[in-house]
Amino acid sequence: MKNKTAQALALTVVAAVALGGCAATSEPGASGEQTVSIWLDDNTENPCFAETIKDTFAAEGVTLDIELKTDWDSLTKTAVAGGGGPDVIMTPGITYTLEYAKAGVLEPLDAYATEYGWDSTIASWALSAGKYEDTLYSLQSELETMILWYNKSVFDRLGLTPPTTTAEFDAVADALDKAGVTPFASGNAEWKGVNEWFISGLFNGHAGADAVYSALAGDGSFTDPGFVEATDLITKWQQQGYLAGGLDRYYTTTFDEFLSGFGAGDYGMNMEGSWRFSNIDTFFSAAGNEWDWVPFPTKDGRELYSIGTGSSWGINASSKNKDAAAEVLNHIFTPEIQAQLAVDCGFAPGPVTLDASMLEGLDPRQARLYESVATAAAKGDYGYLTWAFFGPETDQYIYEEIEKLWGGSITTAQYLEGLQELNDKERLAGDNPPLPER
Amino acid sequence: MTTSIIHGPPDLVGDESAPVPPRRQRGRFRGRARAGITAWLFLLPVLAVHLFTVAVPAVTGVYYSFTDWSGIGDAEWVGLENYQRLLQDGDYLLALGNNVKWLLFFWTVPFFLAILASFLLSQVRRGQTFYRLVYFVPYVLPSVVVASLWKFMLNPDKGVPSFLSALGIQGFDKALLGQESTALWTIAFIDNWHYWGFLATLLLVAMQSVPTELYEAARLDGANLWHQLMNVTIPAIRPTLIFMFMMTGIWSFLVFDYVWVLTQGGPAGSSEVLGTLVYKTAFTQFDAGYAAAQGVSMAIFASFLLAFFLLMRRRGWEI
Repeated sequence: MKNKTAQALALTVVAAVALGGCAATSEPGASGEQTVSIWLDDNTENPCFAETIKDTFAAEGVTLDIELKTDWDSLTKTAVAGGGGPDVIMTPGITYTLEYAKAGVLEPLDAYATEYGWDSTIASWALSAGKYEDTLYSLQSELETMILWYNKSVFDRLGLTPPTTTAEFDAVADALDKAGVTPFASGNAEWKGVNEWFISGLFNGHAGADAVYSALAGDGSFTDPGFVEATDLITKWQQQGYLAGGLDRYYTTTFDEFLSGFGAGDYGMNMEGSWRFSNIDTFFSAAGNEWDWVPFPTKDGRELYSIGTGSSWGINASSKNKDAAAEVLNHIFTPEIQAQLAVDCGFAPGPVTLDASMLEGLDPRQARLYESVATAAAKGDYGYLTWAFFGPETDQYIYEEIEKLWGGSITTAQYLEGLQELNDKERLAGDNPPLPER
Repeated sequence: MTTSIIHGPPDLVGDESAPVPPRRQRGRFRGRARAGITAWLFLLPVLAVHLFTVAVPAVTGVYYSFTDWSGIGDAEWVGLENYQRLLQDGDYLLALGNNVKWLLFFWTVPFFLAILASFLLSQVRRGQTFYRLVYFVPYVLPSVVVASLWKFMLNPDKGVPSFLSALGIQGFDKALLGQESTALWTIAFIDNWHYWGFLATLLLVAMQSVPTELYEAARLDGANLWHQLMNVTIPAIRPTLIFMFMMTGIWSFLVFDYVWVLTQGGPAGSSEVLGTLVYKTAFTQFDAGYAAAQGVSMAIFASFLLAFFLLMRRRGWEI
């Protein structure tokens, strides 16, 4: 059945949730004025994003209509399936955009990439990540990488040095525990995906980015010893109560709770992504403590950044204003705007070429991260975040099924065999996002 | 043959046995037909909305359950493959098992509480409105608010369990929502907190329609409160009771909000129900065709319940 309205309605029923109506894409006005619509998540950061984009976008004859919506992702999906939705489609990441591209509801961007010279401003790995069957469909923003945050005040007090190798990592966790400090601030009460932060960090850091690449490409296997050791390490920490103080606490601790505790010195470290720069100060300044970060520890201590993006942008194939939408996309992805979003709104910039002077006013610790990631990525020292480069079913398996391992109802071998099986299935079906070459 | 006891012309008092001239018969038929058409015209907008928002999505949902639809774009017909997957899918069977546990919980605990509370309240003459209000208020609170409130109250470090632990009562030092063995029952407890008062209020209304003579007769025969409850009240409110039993059963297969807000189906799938599983399958795994099959199975289970109660009604149950 190709009736798109019926498809949208069916999705609504399937989900058994009430979703809003499907808005049509913007029509050009009678005077030639074009309105480009964008839907964003109704979170605390996006009003600043919307305001910045609106204030700085000044194309003649183009008006921006940015709406913040609750459950924006599901709404967008339902609306787009019905032939509507906003002109510019923003999704939570590459995996999501890939589904849109496969369904043929995104406009190819290759011509716009040439017109606006995106290959000179946007990192090549990010451009290749937005391709499906060699056609560019999306641009990636909010560069994310897993790092190790630590409470500097606690480390200084206990005379600890932030770890660089996995062995040191384990030793520091033990030392914190012995000193009566819970090693890791964490909790997944609000977002089960927290589980995969550690998997992403340890798979790339301990098993190695090459091993992850090989397994994703079908040359290696997730059952290899490096992955077994990485999985065993996080399982050991969970069972020892190193995260949040115990599995039951981990499952019921909210972001605010563990970040407040981290700032107050109840926890020593936090395995989390670079997105936390947006509000980490809030939790530490309240307690009068200092924070800092180091690259996520690796097996051999080599500096490595597992990368991914927090959002992905494309143009609705049914948009009546595709050129104007491309102009808006180009504006959002200019290095100046990405830098302004980072400085003013705390957004992680997209994978664009940034001049250090553009980040003036940014916390030096945050600026250091962006410089380090850019340098490492240019050398090819980057890994693959699970939510950015794994197939959707495999990704969900990674963070859902790991709880069974932590709870003791399955073994590490069973967990990794299941992961390998799903990865094979999605890889062969073409459901894995494009993998930037090493 | 009926005879009108009202004096006056037969056609004005509704004596249908009286002979009616053919022209008037035709007029009456036209009048009825016109009234019927008018009624249908009034119903049409509602019918159209119903078809558009319920029937069409339902039918297309069934269709997509036989496809590999991702949720966007075209769909390929895969026949019964999605339904065969259901039978081999451990996550689905786990969620189904949890729905059955949920059903058993809600067929017992809230009914026991509601029958007891409403019966006792029916004996009270003063302050009944106040109690009815207190029972009913949790039902009108949004589920997200109730769930968040209880989440806070059940915090093992700051909530009620910390006080119980401080008093030396064992078993409250762990987070109830964070353990595989307790998560589902804790969510059911919270959902029941908001639900049983509603049920009690409904049953109380039903109890108030029971003729007082029946209770007087029972008391004369020496029946105490327990005997009155078992032999007068429950038989008298049986239609309401069975109807609510049926509705509670259907609702049990549709539970979503409390589970989603409190645990998202965790830990380790221990509180996963079909509603949350369908959502994840459709929106996280982009496997909307399979999610449609899961959704259709939920409707089938609910239909079985409905069919059972309808069958019982045919066999003489008062519903």
